[in-house]
Amino acid sequence: MFIFIVLLGFTSYYFGRRKAYTIQSTNKRLTALPQFYGYYLAIWCAIPAFIIFSLWAIFEPTIVKLLILSDYSNQGYLDDELNLIYEKTKALSRGQFTGEITPFIEASAEKYLSLRSIAQSSKAVIVLSIIIASVAYAYKKISSNSRTREPVEKFLKAVLFTASLAAILTTVGIVFSLIFQTIDFFKVIPLFDFVFGTHWYPAKAFVRDSSEALDPTMYSDTFGAVPIFAGTFFIAFIAMCVAIPIGLMSGIYLAEYASVKVRQYAKPLIEILAGIPTVVYGFFAALTVGPFLKEIGNSMGLDVSAESALAAGGVMGIMIIPFISSLSDDVITSVPQSLRDGSYAMGATKSETIKKVIFPAALPGIVGSILLGVSRAIGETMIVVMASGLAANLTLNPLESTSTITAQIVVILIGDQAFGDPKTQAAFALGMSLFLVTLCLNIVALRVVKKYREKYE
Amino acid sequence: MKKNGVKMIKINSKNVDVFYGKKQALFNINLDIEENQVTALIGPSGCGKSTFLRCLNRMNDVIDICRVKGQIIINDFDINDKSCDVVRLREKIGMVFQKPNPFPKTIYENISYGPTIHGMAQSKNEMDEIVETSLKKAALWEEVKDRLHEPGTGLSGGQQQRLCIARAISVKPEVILMDEPCSALDPIATAQIEELIDELKKDHTIIIVTHSMAQAARVSQNTGFFHLGELIEHGSTDKIFKNPENKKTQDYITGRFG
Repeated sequence: MFIFIVLLGFTSYYFGRRKAYTIQSTNKRLTALPQFYGYYLAIWCAIPAFIIFSLWAIFEPTIVKLLILSDYSNQGYLDDELNLIYEKTKALSRGQFTGEITPFIEASAEKYLSLRSIAQSSKAVIVLSIIIASVAYAYKKISSNSRTREPVEKFLKAVLFTASLAAILTTVGIVFSLIFQTIDFFKVIPLFDFVFGTHWYPAKAFVRDSSEALDPTMYSDTFGAVPIFAGTFFIAFIAMCVAIPIGLMSGIYLAEYASVKVRQYAKPLIEILAGIPTVVYGFFAALTVGPFLKEIGNSMGLDVSAESALAAGGVMGIMIIPFISSLSDDVITSVPQSLRDGSYAMGATKSETIKKVIFPAALPGIVGSILLGVSRAIGETMIVVMASGLAANLTLNPLESTSTITAQIVVILIGDQAFGDPKTQAAFALGMSLFLVTLCLNIVALRVVKKYREKYE
Repeated sequence: MKKNGVKMIKINSKNVDVFYGKKQALFNINLDIEENQVTALIGPSGCGKSTFLRCLNRMNDVIDICRVKGQIIINDFDINDKSCDVVRLREKIGMVFQKPNPFPKTIYENISYGPTIHGMAQSKNEMDEIVETSLKKAALWEEVKDRLHEPGTGLSGGQQQRLCIARAISVKPEVILMDEPCSALDPIATAQIEELIDELKKDHTIIIVTHSMAQAARVSQNTGFFHLGELIEHGSTDKIFKNPENKKTQDYITGRFG
């Protein structure tokens, strides 16, 4: 059916164009290129079909249900029972009904099947006739001076608008679902406990049988987010300690010192780092770096956990290096050559020029790239889940295991979960706070970068 | 300026060739620059006058593919020699560029930049003094003395260019190279700069590249005419403009090409 409509669309395009050519051949000037006449007709074919299809999909089940249940209407059933009967009917008609088959239901099932087939064929007939009618109408309307370009352009604009609207609406929808679940969560757990509580132990919430009534006091001292926020920022901090110096220095090298040839090969190579999936980094951290650190620590007499904040943070830092190096390379390269010339002409050496002129000039852009890196670090999940452990310790010892917001969300939402449960909602609350933090960072970073751009244009 | 009736030669270039990759940009340039005079280099676009200027403080080093051959002797010393210290050379030979390029720092920091990297000031007071005299010499002091700690990029185009001149003279160079210093400025700012150039030649030897022949005639004592990478003619400005020997020079000056 669908393929048929598409074919019909193509044919109407062809006919539209052909009519346009005929008009053209009678020496009349067209108001648009012949293709537009074709598109015009094709649109007239597609839109009515689309509208009918969607209306049908919305209303068909309701109407069928009404018709079936009208047989039972004066027998005094309750609504729930009617629904049950309808479901039984449907199941029987598909041959999946396993209960007791009453003659009544059998009759209904037959009726259901016949209604469905009537609906199908009538749908086909109606859609086809409407398409043909609309195409015929449009075909007749086409003449040398009819406007076809404007409707076609308007249609394209509408399609593009719908696409962008879909993207925006999805974002808004996600934010709202976060907000509502978060509000529900804070109805049970006081905001104060969440923000300032120092004990995070969501496993406690597993214990509850879902049939029991909700008792908020049970959760006191369970959802204190301080340890995981601390863990998040701590690991991000370790990551930035690795990423900022290395990334920045390699960015400066690439932009200022590397010859064209070195740059040509080195830059893509560094950017390959950005293309490695974080899972790969994750098991690199968990299976290679973690045990390695543990061994070194043990040989020095330190007690190092195999899953340490240091391993996760360090590997995360390596992951972020390409972002910082490639972004800072870009901003340094975009510092005008005239500033370099001015500095060299004063007798400054290369490193003096970089330190005193180029770096300050590029600083806003560099700060922007660092902030983007930080928001990556905070939002990073896989490495943390695999390498830093899941116990939410409140610690500043990089050799112990800590946990982050993202890792906790994973822990909470893996496996069975019930909606409306504080445990599940805790994930939404965490997600919301994570979203807010990265949103702020991104806004600040983008503003800084923008401000910098204005300066040299 | 004459010493014992003989004009002092500050810069003496012999057989200078410059190549950009395989393309030769300058052919066998022999040009003497007199001390404490303004020498103008004129010629159509792409004739190599800026390239020659950049040879004099080895700014062509910055360009990877650029090679310079021949001798350029300043103070009895060949600057193309391996033993030449580029940092010291550029301290002695300042440069002002076509587009004003103040650093994105305060006015004060723009001037103190050179003296700082060459360790010329021992104390804050000394630095203040250097900044003040440089700005005064560049005829900018009165306009900016109350806002020394505002960004230099906030000045007008003409002020920025004078700031760049002040920056160049802050390290007391013997020679100042100017690469079309007025091409981005309006006539009033241009007049100010020209006046300034006249003032500066008391203490400095000045070489200026310019597209404006009127400017060359106004500010310079000597002129060199470049065409397609060759130095066609050079001599006193009077002679070049009133009585050129070479036909090309005459054509260029009378506006027949270029």
